[in-house]
Amino acid sequence: MNNSPVIRCHNLCHSYAGKAVLRQVNFELATGEPIGLVGPNGAGKTTLLSILCGFIYPTAGSVSLFGHKPGASALNGKVSALPQDAKLDPSFTIGDQLSFYARLQGLNRQQALREATRVLGAVALKDSIKERPDTLSHGMAKRVAIAQALIGKPELILLDEPTAGLDPVNTRNIREIIAELSPTTTFMISSHDLSELGRLCQQVLLLENCTMSSMQLNASEQDSPTRFITLQMEPCPTVELMSKLKNLAGVLLVSNPQKNEFIIEYNPTIEAKMDIKILTCLMDNNWHYRQFSQGKTLEEKLFFEE
Amino acid sequence: MTPSFLNAILLISQFELKRLFTTRKGLLYLITFSIVWYFILLYPIRFSADLFAQNKSSTLGSNFFEFIGFGALLNWQIPEFGVYWHIALVMFPLLCITITSDQSCSDRERGTLRFLSLRASRDSLFLGRFAGAMAIQTLLILVTALTTLILTIYRDTNLLLVALNSASAIALNLVLVLLPFTAMMAALSASVKSARQATVWAILIWSFLAGIISGLSYYLPALTVLKILIPGYQMADLSQLAEWQTLELAYIPILQSLVFLGIGRWIMSRQSL
Repeated sequence: MNNSPVIRCHNLCHSYAGKAVLRQVNFELATGEPIGLVGPNGAGKTTLLSILCGFIYPTAGSVSLFGHKPGASALNGKVSALPQDAKLDPSFTIGDQLSFYARLQGLNRQQALREATRVLGAVALKDSIKERPDTLSHGMAKRVAIAQALIGKPELILLDEPTAGLDPVNTRNIREIIAELSPTTTFMISSHDLSELGRLCQQVLLLENCTMSSMQLNASEQDSPTRFITLQMEPCPTVELMSKLKNLAGVLLVSNPQKNEFIIEYNPTIEAKMDIKILTCLMDNNWHYRQFSQGKTLEEKLFFEE
Repeated sequence: MTPSFLNAILLISQFELKRLFTTRKGLLYLITFSIVWYFILLYPIRFSADLFAQNKSSTLGSNFFEFIGFGALLNWQIPEFGVYWHIALVMFPLLCITITSDQSCSDRERGTLRFLSLRASRDSLFLGRFAGAMAIQTLLILVTALTTLILTIYRDTNLLLVALNSASAIALNLVLVLLPFTAMMAALSASVKSARQATVWAILIWSFLAGIISGLSYYLPALTVLKILIPGYQMADLSQLAEWQTLELAYIPILQSLVFLGIGRWIMSRQSL
């Protein structure tokens, strides 16, 4: 394999009817851990993924995957995707269509049928192989669409909202599939479910106001002179709790972004064991917490950081 | 290893054939076509052929057919095939416009083309669907030619070899006639949102193309040459020819098909999926 990055975008621009969606987007991705793609509605996440898949062409700039233009024959079988809202042909059975896709990826008839069965098994839909797509629920159809992205051994899988509309059991199943394939396959996952991305990705790309920025989830806090603790409480007296926390030595700021959620910013050089101090404070006042975590939530980091 | 360009076209066209035989829509179409063709074979073809056979020897009968514009039917050695040729020249292009109108539009609207384009180039998808549509129509043409052949040898078994010759000439010619219509529908299907839109546009484009070129060539006779762009332009001349002479005009549909396929490929390569 050559040393080309998995994805390279250079000055990528795209606009719909004169309205810019992507402006001068530049980034390079190497093989490795799953990468998250986040951004508010209309930020251009689906547009970016569609350009990477070769479904649409950028207005300006260049993009390459493994050194090839999106849609190039050399990427056949190497790049796979879960496009948003794409549906299978309702005329054929799911098994027929997935086998056909596998055949287009170079498998023979028997291998293709085995592969269709395997990927449907991976998303717990083996029994639906002889069903038609229009008989499936939204969640099941989404799982079939994920199954088609797993056909063969793709080196890059682009997933657009993979768990939107899935039940918790299947959401976890999809997470497990991604974690299992991650050593050999690079995933790029667009999602609004930040807790899910926080679990899967070490790096997140944020698309906002037509431009892109990148964030290493682990690195950002280690490099910072101050640290954060996020506290989710059972119902409690907010003002009193904030006051008590502010009085702890080393605490710089206590904020209350949502009901019963508190973010404590502190200086670790003054108080290294701030977690123990806070828990002791809660115990002394007989207040009960629901969740206690180091750092800010991904949502806070990405969208509410000052 | 991923399939070559030609293998991908072959796989896609095979899948289209499967659509005819394994999907509800395809089977319904086959049943409807069979019933319609059964009645065409049983009444217009058989009765007209009987009529021709009876009047062919008499001068009065020949003059009558010449007078009503069907004199060319008398050029055919077997009347059944003369009638079949004339009916097929009208029926198949009309059928073509309806059955090949959805070569890619509904798949594009549904997003199915996205799944496919991750595994096959746009060119192989476009040409594979076109090849599939031609394969389906070729199959239908062969069925109608074969049933006409059976009808003929049922009447007179000695006509087998002559009938086989006529059936082959007609089948080959009909495939050629349908090429530009199918290519035109492939190009339209690549650019519109539904099969119905493709059919409507096909009728509009065909009518306007024929009307405008005819109008212009009335004032500027040199523009008559543009008529070559109209699919089926050669059909009026074709109906006057018989047996293998019909291949004399084969270059017209082949050229038209190449032009339409070029346009369609251009549209497909630029279209958002």
